[in-house]
Amino acid sequence: MHIENYTDATQNCRFCFMCRHLSGIGNVTFTEADTPRVRASMIYGITLHPEKLSEPDFIDTIYRSDLSAACRFHCVSHFDENGLNLAARADIVEAGLAPEYVKVIAEELKQSAKWSSSGQGNVLYFEDRYTSEAKTVSAAFRKIMKKAQIPYMTIQGGCIGKALAVLGFGKDAKEVTQAFAAAVNATGAKTLVVSNPAAYDALTSDFPTFGAKLNAKVQHTSEYLASLKLKVTQKAPAVYYLESDFLKNYDGNLPGPRALLKAMGAKVLPFGTNNEESYTCAEGAVVLPKIDATLVEKLAHYVAARADHPDEDVIAVASPYTKIQLEKYTKLQVKTLEELFAAAL
Amino acid sequence: MLVSKTSYMYEMIRTELTDILGAEFVRTGEADKFGHSVDYYWVPEMWHDRGMETPKPDFIVHPGSTEEVAKVVKLANHYKIPVVPWGGGSGSQGGALPIYGGIIVDMKRMNHFIKLDKESLTVTCQTGIIARHLEWQCNKEGYSTMHLPASIACATIGGFLAHRGTGVLSTKYGKIEDMVMSLEVVTGTGEIIRTLPVPRHASGPDLTMLFLGSEGTFGIITEVTLKLQPQPESRQFRAYIFKDFHTAMSAGAELMRSRLQPCAVRLYDEEETIHHVRKVFGMELDQGAYLVFGFDGRTEIVDLQMKYAREIMEKKYKGKDLGSKGGELWWENKYKFFYPPFMFHIPQAFGTLDTVATFSNIENVYWAMKKVVNENFPAARFIGHFSHWYEWGCMLYARFIFEEKDVPKDPREAVALYNRVWDMAIRAAIANGGVINEHHGVGLKLGHFMKELYGPAMPVLEGIKQQLDPNNIMNPGKLGFKGL
Repeated sequence: MHIENYTDATQNCRFCFMCRHLSGIGNVTFTEADTPRVRASMIYGITLHPEKLSEPDFIDTIYRSDLSAACRFHCVSHFDENGLNLAARADIVEAGLAPEYVKVIAEELKQSAKWSSSGQGNVLYFEDRYTSEAKTVSAAFRKIMKKAQIPYMTIQGGCIGKALAVLGFGKDAKEVTQAFAAAVNATGAKTLVVSNPAAYDALTSDFPTFGAKLNAKVQHTSEYLASLKLKVTQKAPAVYYLESDFLKNYDGNLPGPRALLKAMGAKVLPFGTNNEESYTCAEGAVVLPKIDATLVEKLAHYVAARADHPDEDVIAVASPYTKIQLEKYTKLQVKTLEELFAAAL
Repeated sequence: MLVSKTSYMYEMIRTELTDILGAEFVRTGEADKFGHSVDYYWVPEMWHDRGMETPKPDFIVHPGSTEEVAKVVKLANHYKIPVVPWGGGSGSQGGALPIYGGIIVDMKRMNHFIKLDKESLTVTCQTGIIARHLEWQCNKEGYSTMHLPASIACATIGGFLAHRGTGVLSTKYGKIEDMVMSLEVVTGTGEIIRTLPVPRHASGPDLTMLFLGSEGTFGIITEVTLKLQPQPESRQFRAYIFKDFHTAMSAGAELMRSRLQPCAVRLYDEEETIHHVRKVFGMELDQGAYLVFGFDGRTEIVDLQMKYAREIMEKKYKGKDLGSKGGELWWENKYKFFYPPFMFHIPQAFGTLDTVATFSNIENVYWAMKKVVNENFPAARFIGHFSHWYEWGCMLYARFIFEEKDVPKDPREAVALYNRVWDMAIRAAIANGGVINEHHGVGLKLGHFMKELYGPAMPVLEGIKQQLDPNNIMNPGKLGFKGL
């Protein structure tokens, strides 16, 4: 079983409460089951009684996790309950126990795995589905590139494997990553730029794991745009920056977002009461809106309740996904880094 | 009534709970039940570790208001179903375990930060708020509750109130009971009452104190007003190594007798210094006992207190100065001791023999407990530190640890061994003037000592329980009160 690769987490997280205050879902459902400790403890129970893997309530609990990895980032030993949860999903799928709602999402993701490219240049900008849905993000990127007079190509389309992997469909995810790598390599691009942190994490972490070789260097838009060293004509407003789970907790606290905010002269104000909780509305779970939209709505309200002035504050995010969810469920003014930078040029 | 035995009534009760709370907040799923069947008590953790079934509640409810709590308690009285309040589930004494099934009242939905009064320096909140979240909110305004225990990330404020918790700055700011202004409580009959708004008065006995430490056996605390403290201008620590535990204890006791006002004092015995402090800090330490203390407040006053404290440590007791760095390391790592792999955990068998005594008695308590553990259980390791210091004495955080090879494979035998250590060590503590608990509470684990500890006073507590909870539905079988 995949969970056996996470013995460290099973054997340590099930006895530890030290990150429970960071349980994103637990903080809105209030249930013990939605905490890393109890999930790890339940999974330990499966190692003793494998038949428990088929318990529907257990399966729902595993698929309800926000996968922010805030616990792993916080932990002094960085035990990986997040990875354990993903491994449990893979075991559920491979045992043929994936619930119908998960199978439907996975099938739709597999069908979406088609991409088309256009334009010319050495830079290839990936518009995944969340980036496209956010609309203003790719428009802002276009404006910046025009200002910088850099021609670029665009590749648009659906799942590149991340969401499938997160749902536990590893084999399908592997196939999709290889297909996407081939599509990217066919463009001849030297740099692949992505706005969605989930895609960034997929390209930099999952692709090497799955053996999907990319010829292009992968950069998050914040890294890429900061590297252009463009001059801003007007200082960006003071913003509250909400960290991306992927860029912070998965990808070593990528410095790109803060570097870009600095480059645009934005004063970054501390959001809420701390910089440990996840305020991404379950970015790490990628497709939680399809699994349980009411949970995402609760997470969005949780974020809004922590804003100093919910009607006035400018909330900066590195994630089109988070922008979509916060705009859908709250009145917060949410701008992506691309939008803020484009406005400052 | 034990609900699960009558399935038709089970559905009736579920319907009535749903009517009070809404379907979303009445849970009966297996994952939720499991989550409320194991707390931080070694026995259920071991039980689960060995593949045994743990006792589960029949219902888990998440009330959103005091009125909803009251309705649930009244319903439970009607059917005479056990009600077990649950906060963070991080208690180490089994106090929140649903040993008779029934209704778990999980309070975490009642997590509202109600009011911060900057004039009186108080904060009012619902008791289901996780302590770390409350502290963060106070910090944002420039204040602190100064209740900073290692369990701050997981425990709720209600949990601390229920078992009289203590934080790392207790020496200056007190235990949770010293921080409370007033409470709102739903009694065991479902009445909503408020205690007087100030803690210092001459209007009869103190009802607030009656509920603190009652561990959900008298009712459910739903709202609290706590004192607040401004964040100090300066907080400084300093540490010393003394040649032995006795010398370090003498130095620490003299520091307290000097009536300087340290915010924290902590002393580790020789074994814990060598095996634990060194490991957590990642630095070499000389053989001996590590003592750390700190002061906070206005910088000039902190500096002056530190100067006098250093004189006590260095001139009279010849402590080896580890400097401010040696002290700051403790402050920075104060919670690291409780993260894996630094905290003990299964397959080890371990327990914290939390005991408090006066300075006249505390060393005798330490040696008596150590002797009884060492002589009767040679496979066990005994370590201790002294972590909450007051003008008159301090708390001994003694621990026994059995490695996996020395723990019986049969879970029942393992529990029997575990309980024997507790019983012998606790009786040794009581015989030497110790009180069996300073901040972990009594719960299930220590309930059977309550009659020995209280003697003829126990019926007084039982009478209060009878008055507040005549049907004995509130957390039955805990705190030494009768079960079902």
